[in-house]
Amino acid sequence: MRVKVKLFASFKDICGFAEKELIVSEAIKVSEIVDMLIKSNREFAEKKDTLLVAVNEEYCSLNKILQEGDTIALFPPVSGG
Amino acid sequence: MKDIFIQKEAVNITELLAKGASDSDGSDVVFIGRVRNNSRDKNVTLIDYEIYPEMALKELNKIADEAIEKYRLNRCIIVHRYGKVYPGETSIVIIVSTPHRAETYAGSRYIIDEIKKRVPVWKKEHYTDGSEWLSNRS
Repeated sequence: MRVKVKLFASFKDICGFAEKELIVSEAIKVSEIVDMLIKSNREFAEKKDTLLVAVNEEYCSLNKILQEGDTIALFPPVSGG
Repeated sequence: MKDIFIQKEAVNITELLAKGASDSDGSDVVFIGRVRNNSRDKNVTLIDYEIYPEMALKELNKIADEAIEKYRLNRCIIVHRYGKVYPGETSIVIIVSTPHRAETYAGSRYIIDEIKKRVPVWKKEHYTDGSEWLSNRS
């Protein structure tokens, strides 16, 4: 199935992309997408503890199971205001 | 009355103040967040705000709805800027109104505190000698 991954702020700089479409197996969890990024990028691995996750613009946990067409956003702690 | 915006342009506070004002409210609290020209002993030249627009609007609306219910706000306006904002310029405006001041102050405080925890916006501070992403949790 197809899912979209969006990265923001320092995560975008570290991984070198803002948005990417991935073809993944059914019932994959957000954590498995994160693990894929960690494997390919040591600097991103160091940020894992502070990472925030949203699926379809709603905060969620790393255990969330993804569905076809979902948009996963991964980002560092926010700093608005 | 609730009005939530995100925008790149400068904020016209005078226009916002007149928006939805009611004679039944005895108090307005206006919070204005501005970019400082210094941060941790560095000279700030600008802040570039990155935003996840769709989610930021959702979260801002949720926060406004929570504050309206909790503090019985009759008016709640939030404007958050994104893009490049220079020292002295406004980055965020929150206007809330209720009949009495206690709820108005508390509602305004709740909104800015929740925004800093939840709304997907990130500051990249630019200095005279480089730049850095900031985190409210760091």
